[in-house]
This record gives sequence, C-alpha cells and structure tokens, in this order.
Amino acid sequence: MINTATSLKISDRINVLRDKTIRKKSTICTERAKFYTQIYKAHQDKPIILVRALALQKTVREMSIYIDEGELIVGNHSSALRAAPIFPEYAVGWIMKELDEFDKRPGDAFFHTDQNKEDLREICDWWKGKTLLEKGQEGMTPELREIHDSGIIRAEGNLTSGDGHIAVNFEKILELGLNGYLQEIQNWNETNQENASSRDFYKAMEMGVESFIHFIRRFETLASEMSQKEENPARRAELLEIAANCRHIATYPPDNFYRALQLVYFVQLVLQIESNGHSVSLGRMDQYLHHFYREDMLLGKISDDFAMQLLECTWIKLLSVNKIRSWSHTRYSAGGPLYQNVTIGGQHPDGTDAVNDLSYLILHSVGELRLTQPNLSVRFHKNISKDFLMACMAVIEKGFGMPAFNNDEIVIPSLINLGVERDDAYNYSAIGCIEIAVPGKWGYRCTGMSFLNFMRVFLAAINDGYDSYSKKTFFKGIGKLTDFTSFEQLKEAWKQQVELYTRAGIRMEHIIDKALEIHTPDILCSVFVDSCIERGLTIKEGGSKYDFVSGLQVGIANLGNALVAIKKLVFEEKRLTAESLLYHLENDFAGVEGEKIRQILLNFAPKYGNDNDEVDLLLRDAYMDYLNEIDHHRTTRHERGPIGCLYYGGTSSISANVPSGSVVPATPDGRKAYTPLAEGSSPTSGTDLLGPTAVFKSVSKLPTEKILGGVLLNQKLSPTAIAKKESKEKLVSIISTFFTELKGWHVQYNILSRKTLEAAKENPEAYRDLVVRVAGYSAFFTNLSPEMQDDIIARTEHFL
Amino acid sequence: MLLFVNVFTYFCHDMTFDIQRYSVHDGAGIRTNLFLKGCNLRCAWCSNPESQSRVPSLFFNARQCKGFGDCAAVMPDVISMVDGKAHINRGLLHDVEPLRNTCPSKALTVSGDEKSVDALLEEIEKDRPFFGSDGGVTISGGEPFLQQDLLHEVLPALKASGINVAIETCLHVSWGHIEPHLKHIDVFLADLKHLDTGKFKEYTGGDATRVTDNFQRLNESGAAIIARIPVIPGFNNSSQELKDMVDFICGLPNIQEIHFIPFHQLGVEKYAMLGMAYTFPFDDTIEETDLLEIQYYAQLKGLTTKIGG
Repeated sequence: MINTATSLKISDRINVLRDKTIRKKSTICTERAKFYTQIYKAHQDKPIILVRALALQKTVREMSIYIDEGELIVGNHSSALRAAPIFPEYAVGWIMKELDEFDKRPGDAFFHTDQNKEDLREICDWWKGKTLLEKGQEGMTPELREIHDSGIIRAEGNLTSGDGHIAVNFEKILELGLNGYLQEIQNWNETNQENASSRDFYKAMEMGVESFIHFIRRFETLASEMSQKEENPARRAELLEIAANCRHIATYPPDNFYRALQLVYFVQLVLQIESNGHSVSLGRMDQYLHHFYREDMLLGKISDDFAMQLLECTWIKLLSVNKIRSWSHTRYSAGGPLYQNVTIGGQHPDGTDAVNDLSYLILHSVGELRLTQPNLSVRFHKNISKDFLMACMAVIEKGFGMPAFNNDEIVIPSLINLGVERDDAYNYSAIGCIEIAVPGKWGYRCTGMSFLNFMRVFLAAINDGYDSYSKKTFFKGIGKLTDFTSFEQLKEAWKQQVELYTRAGIRMEHIIDKALEIHTPDILCSVFVDSCIERGLTIKEGGSKYDFVSGLQVGIANLGNALVAIKKLVFEEKRLTAESLLYHLENDFAGVEGEKIRQILLNFAPKYGNDNDEVDLLLRDAYMDYLNEIDHHRTTRHERGPIGCLYYGGTSSISANVPSGSVVPATPDGRKAYTPLAEGSSPTSGTDLLGPTAVFKSVSKLPTEKILGGVLLNQKLSPTAIAKKESKEKLVSIISTFFTELKGWHVQYNILSRKTLEAAKENPEAYRDLVVRVAGYSAFFTNLSPEMQDDIIARTEHFL
Repeated sequence: MLLFVNVFTYFCHDMTFDIQRYSVHDGAGIRTNLFLKGCNLRCAWCSNPESQSRVPSLFFNARQCKGFGDCAAVMPDVISMVDGKAHINRGLLHDVEPLRNTCPSKALTVSGDEKSVDALLEEIEKDRPFFGSDGGVTISGGEPFLQQDLLHEVLPALKASGINVAIETCLHVSWGHIEPHLKHIDVFLADLKHLDTGKFKEYTGGDATRVTDNFQRLNESGAAIIARIPVIPGFNNSSQELKDMVDFICGLPNIQEIHFIPFHQLGVEKYAMLGMAYTFPFDDTIEETDLLEIQYYAQLKGLTTKIGG
C-alpha cells in the first residue's frame, strides 16, 4: 500500500485562505473589459489575431495584481478575490439588460458599485453591433434563428461565453518552459513563411508568450518588494521563495514540484484571462507532476505536509477564479461552476496501474478541502488499486460528490476506434464535468457545443411536426399520434424529426464555429495545444492534432419512458387512446381524469433504470437514430489538419435538465409541463425502484461507445449506506462490475443530506427511489411512516 | 414484464411477495433476495406482516389515494369512497385478485405473485454479474421451508447454474422439510429467537423445541450455518436471555458465527396498510451500542460476531 498521507490535516494557513475565499461575495471587475476595449478601439484596422495579442498584452501588463497573506501559490484572475472579469468582445446585450439585476438574482448573485455599472454601460455601448454574438447571429438564417429562439436547440452559450472545454499540454509546458515555446514559435515561423495570416499568427503567439512571461515576472517583482517590507521572518522567507520561483519559471522549465505547480496554475489562470469559456481543465495532474514530486521527496527537499499545502493552495486559487454568465446561461450552470477538472488514476499504455503516491495526495487534499473546485475525476480500469478505490470511497463519503469515475475499459477502446493513436488514447483525461479528451492534443468542445431538447423533438414527432410551445411547425412530420396505426409509425416519426433537428443543430454549430474562428481566436491556448505552432493555425482553424466535438442531448430517460408508455398503454394494452393521451398532454393532465391518465402513465408502463429490456432497448434504438445522423456530419476543421473532425453523442448536461424542462409541455412519461427533465443519462428521479445494480444494467444498455461526450450517471446514497468499511467494499464491488463487465462509462455519488430527506418527506412522489439504511434494514424512505422518517432524518444528521 | 417462453415452464403456486435486488444485509456480498409468502409463526414484532399469509395480501396506502374510485367500481360491496378516499371493508374482502392492477396511483396494491420458476430464475440471473465470488441469492420469507414445491424446483436449478444460495429460516418446520434440500444450500441464516418454550409460545405462537431440535440436526449435518438472534425489546433482550442463546450456539460446534440483529419498529406502517392490528406492546428500539456487551461475550466464547445482518 502506498502512503496515503491520511494523517495530514488542513493547516491553519489553509483554513484561513479557504474561509476567506468561500465567504467572499462575488463581484465584477472591469479592468479586462477596459483594456480590451481600448485596444480594439485603437487598432480597428489591424488583423484580429494581432488585436487580440495586443489586448492580452495590455491586460496582463497593466491589470492589478496582488499576493494575499499566507498564499504559497500566487496569481490573481482579476482586481479582487472572486471578482468576475468581463469579456465584452463576446456579448454585451445581456450585460446591458441585466446590469441592475446582478445583485438581485435568486442564485449566483453578483454585487458591484454604481461606478462599476457606469463603466460597464460605457464599455458595452461601444461594443454594440461589434460583438461575437451579433456577428454569429447575422450568419444564421431566419429559420435557424427561430428554432434557436424556440428553445428546441440552444447553442449561443458558445457565442456569449466562448468555447473552453479543453486541457492544454502541461507535460510539454513543464518540459520546455516558456522560453522553449518562444524558440519553437521562432523556428516554425521561419519554416512557414508562405502566407500572411500565418505570419500574423506567429507574431501573435510570440507576443502572447512574451506577455505571459511578463505577467509572471510582475509577481516576482511584487513578491520581492513585499518581502522587503515583511516583518515576520517566516513569511519573508516564503515571499523570497515565491519571487525566486516566478523568476525561474518565467523562462525556464521548473526544477521542482513547487515551481511546477506554480507554473501549471499560471497557465490555467492566463487561459481564463485570455478567453471566456469554462471547463478549462488541468488534465492528468498526478502523472505530469509525479516525477517532480518523487524527486523532491527522494532528495528530502519536500515533505508530504508541505506538498499537500501547496496542492490545497492551488485548489483555493482555482476557486478564486470567477465567471459571470447571463441569467439564462446561469440556469444551465447553477452554482457558478468553472468545471476546472483534475484527473487522477488510470493506467499506463502497458496496462499497469498509474495510481501513484501523488494520486493519493491529490485525492486526500481535495477531500480535506471539500470545495467545488477542482472537479476531481478518477480514471477507473480493471487493474486499478483496490486500496485507492477505498480511499476514493472515503472521500465520496464526505458527501460533496467527488471524485467521479470515468472508465478506461470503454473510453480507451472507443477512442482507438475513432482513430486516436494508442498512446494518446491511454493518456485521455476528463474535461470539465465528465467529458473526455486527450489533453494538449484535442480541440475545443469535446462536449457542450449545443443542447438538443429531445422531448420537444418527441412532442413534435407525435404532432405531425407541430411544436405547441412556439406554435410553429419547423419541419412537417409524418402525421399525428392519432393517425398512426402501429407503434412502428411512431418510431418512424421520431426518426424523421430527430434527423431534421440534428441537421439544423449542426448548421447552427458550423455558423458559430466560423464566427469564433474569425472573431475571437485564442492565441495562448493555441500555443499550448499540439500541433498549432507547427501548422501555423489556431485551434479553430484546424491547428489541433485531434478534433472531435459533441453536443448535449437532454431528456434521455424521458424519451425511453415516453416511447414505452405509448407502445404498451396505447398500442398493446389499449388502456389509453391516442386521442385522450394527446388531449391530456395538451391540457397538462388537468382535472381528475387528466391526473388519472398521468398516474397510469407513471405506474403502468416500465421505466428506464429498472433493467427492463423493453424500455431500455427502445431508448437505445431511439438514441441511435440521433447518433446515426450525426455520423454523417463533419466539423468546420474537416480536411484542414486534425484527425477526426467528427461528432459523437453527449449527456453530461448537469443542471440543464431544469431549464430545458421549463420549455417542455407535458410528456407521455407522465411528466407535468415545464417541470425538469431527467438529468444526464440517469433515470427519471423517483422511478428507479430496483436499486443501483438495476440502474447500472439499464445505463449500460445505452450505446455508450458512441457517447464519448459523457454518459452521466448520478446515484444517490444515504450517508449510512457508505459509513462502514464493509459497505464501502460492496460499493467498490458493484462499481467494478459496472465498469469491467458492463462497460459502464461514468458514475458519481450523491450522499443525501438531511435537507434532501426532509424534501423527500414533503414530496414523496419525487423521491420514491430513495433507499435509506436503518440499522439492520434498508428501506424505501417514502414507505416509512412520518415518525420513522423523522427518526431517520435525525439519525442522518447525527451521522453527517 | 417477464417472458414465459420456456416450454418446460413449471408453474408453481407458491407465492413470492418481493424480489429485492442489491440486498447487502442478508448474507455475504451482493445478493438478490427472494421473499416467499407464508409463515407458521406469528411473531408479534414481525416487520414483514405481508409475509405471514400464503395468499395475496392487499396493501392500502391512504396517503397515496387520490380518490379516483376505480377500486370501488370493481368491488362496490367491499369498497366505498369516503371523503375522497377509498374505504375498505376488509371483513367482506375475500378475493383481492380483481384489484391487482386497478388503482391508477397504486395506492391499492396486491402483494404476492405466482411466478414461474423460469421467471424467477431469469430475474435472479439479471444481477449475476454483480454477485462476484461471495454474493448470490438469499431465499427468505415468510418461512421458505414451507414452500416445498418451489424449493424442489428452484434450488437444484440455482445449484446447477453455480449461484450461491443462502436461506433465511426460523427452522420452525419439520426436519423432513429441510433435509432434502441440504445439498443445494450453501449457507443457512438461522434465526434463534428464544430458548424458553413458554415465552416463545406466547410471542410467536410456535414451539421452541422444534427450533432447537433443528439447530442440533443442522449442526450434525455439517451444513454451513450462521445463527441470527433478532434482539427484541421486552422479549429477549435481557442480558441473561441473550447469554443463554449464545451458550446454546456454543454447544453446537459446527456453528462459528453469530449475528445480532437490532430491532426497529419498521413494520408498524405496514400493519396499518394491511388492515392488521399491531399488537407488539413495546415501543423501544435497540441500538447497536446496546449490543456491544453481548457481542463481547460471544467473542470471548470464540464466535465470529456481527451486529446487523
């Protein structure tokens, strides 16, 4: 067993930094917006790539910087802790509209001063008509605009908030150092002199890296100045070390663990100053940092305790990065997450376990801090250390949903099938939530390119193409449910509608991709992704080695449940007529008769999540209709360089199920109008009645090898269900079966809080799947008497 | 849901009332529990009262009743609608079968299903990937040894397909009901409730010597046995009563493991839903900490112990 460092506890330093960051209210910083606006104004005649290089240069040279008391890892995102910078070049309409409402939001509120508001108004005024969003929208046909505005497909998040969903090549950065990149850019610049746009790009890359170096040097200067004024000798020594670290890594490759970690964080930071997209991820940290850690440990240069403090300082720094999104976008990302993923575990290309002592330390430090950042993922494989899995269970038990598991046994073969080279496939990491890419070699948007609302499409399919929500027929169907004489016709109708909407979605994505390519090229991000320097192309122009993109499909479980309910109750048992079903869907199951129909739909048709082949296979087939269609399409980088340029499926839509549901009328799975859809690939809440193994079986029947954008499964557990060592072992055992035998894709655990149990008591229908452990027994919570429920709620709190 | 396709399908009239997957408390590993209906004891604290009768039972969860009245339409003489809720005159209720799929909201449900052996095996097979080396099936009740037809069919089939079988029993049956199945059962989870015949009779309606005799025979047969003591407040939770039972187990050299199952009032709600009276007079619960003393006592005697199933 590897030293798990479990005896290490959070130090006072970390506690203070953690509390300060958590307690700090979100505000807004206008510095970046001012600098970018000034540069864009002054250089309207220059190529965009150079304008953006100048803007980045000005920002990192002039933005306020600070080093907080006690910090060991330095670098700030904006002028104040938790102040979100503004990226006006993407979109300003929402800022103008919501400016006075930022502090009044029911969740994710931002507070700012009147001066701040005035500045923003002035900035936004100039940008009107010039933003990426407006340029992207100009490119859309009226028909696509209407579909987008109807909410059936949503894709504008890319325009208002950029791409993100990428991890750069940290391995190479640590090996080469920033000077090495300058050298490489110069070398390739000399080789590739054929066209002007390439020459501009090389110039921009050079400016970008030089600006980045300057940014790091500013922290050297600051730390050194602060050290001279510092009276506490211990802190003075720390500041001097910070200054030395910055001096070194500004140009050279890091020579120890501390410096490597500091450089990784600086890269992570500058990418999120340059661009607006979230899910900028850190890749396999326990792998690329391991030799630094190992060497320092062997030479006695670092203790586990100090290494852990450095990691914790980094996690707190990741949380200090903040982002403001439009209110409509915020609802898709409730809680303001930045999804900065760290992946640990996995295997080497020879199949041996890659878990090392740093994997344990990262796991343990994330577990001790219990923050929302980083988003920690563990790569499972059949030879992974059982001891490490047990350590993961101990962190899951803390109840903050981490780590999540991704499965090598399905992901690696699927990647190889897609044409990814073997060594690269073995080096994949999670990006953002659960989606995956090969860090440093993959373009943007391994998921989240657009959202397709499956249930709106399904309702159109049973209504001859008519979308009752927008009162429009975008694509004429093949009839109404009442016209269909067999279930086969319904399947045909679904296939027809989903194909048409999928094509519309791809058309939108292409327009958006082109707009991003032309108007907001990322310079530093391209520098750090293979093979942009070599080709002289930005990522969006086809610079990356691989390019695979996925959208997100929302309402997976609802689709299967709706199909099977109609098959069984309308066509087979004839317990309901098509007329009556359509009528009650239109009327949202109003009245006693409506409610009765709804109860029959809920209770007398099989539900996805119970290992029932009838519904599970119907869902698989219906999903395949979508996946077969996207197989016919290519990204805008096709034949421009990258391997792939293909699309695949994705379901890691996190909180999108709530706003997506809010635009869907009643559905034949018994769901009321405008209520949430099922999240990810998980069963509809309250309908998986046979426990976790049956859920695993159902989920694994999905065409997971074609859903590399993520097959998201959330499972709920009561705290007591994981409290004992024996329970943890049983959980490890079923997860192992799910991954090795059933080729499951992902799973993450929700440990239920007292709050959830209270909600379950109030609203039992939504929590019928909730199993609680009651000493010697397990029981469905909602079947217990109110008194017993109170008892368990009280006990649960005790255990938490 | 289940397909009856096998031409050799044998339809047995024994009742199952539940098949519970991912059962992690009765027996080792991940298990699928098969609950069979019918028991010849009437333990006052029974937490599965629907398992007592051999015929289907009608559950009524008033909180879930939405007043649709479909049940009253099917059985107007037995069920009437009062204040928007179904009111069942159980005295007039004889055959619950017409009500099985009647209630749209499943406030009324029928517990107890005749399933073909093939259907049972198919359901068990579903979780087989999760059983691993130590998991499998636990057949529980009711009293499973009262379901001879089903056991004669299912046990050899399970054995043949290599699935580990645990059986949860009160041992309150004749030895002739147990003996023929010995070779098909991997482990017995055998309840020991009390040694005193008077007290056993008073609280369960049964004969304690029948149980202890079977324990002796089972011990001699060489079967793998885990003794399970449900610790019931007011019935057997005194220090002396518990020690006597541990001593009894110690006298059976083939039994090396003993579990103490702390009692909780989990069945109360079910009694109301079945229209049955809950007569158990004590409302205490047993906490795990209450059992540490007897656990220590059993450990000193050389037994492997566990609290909870």
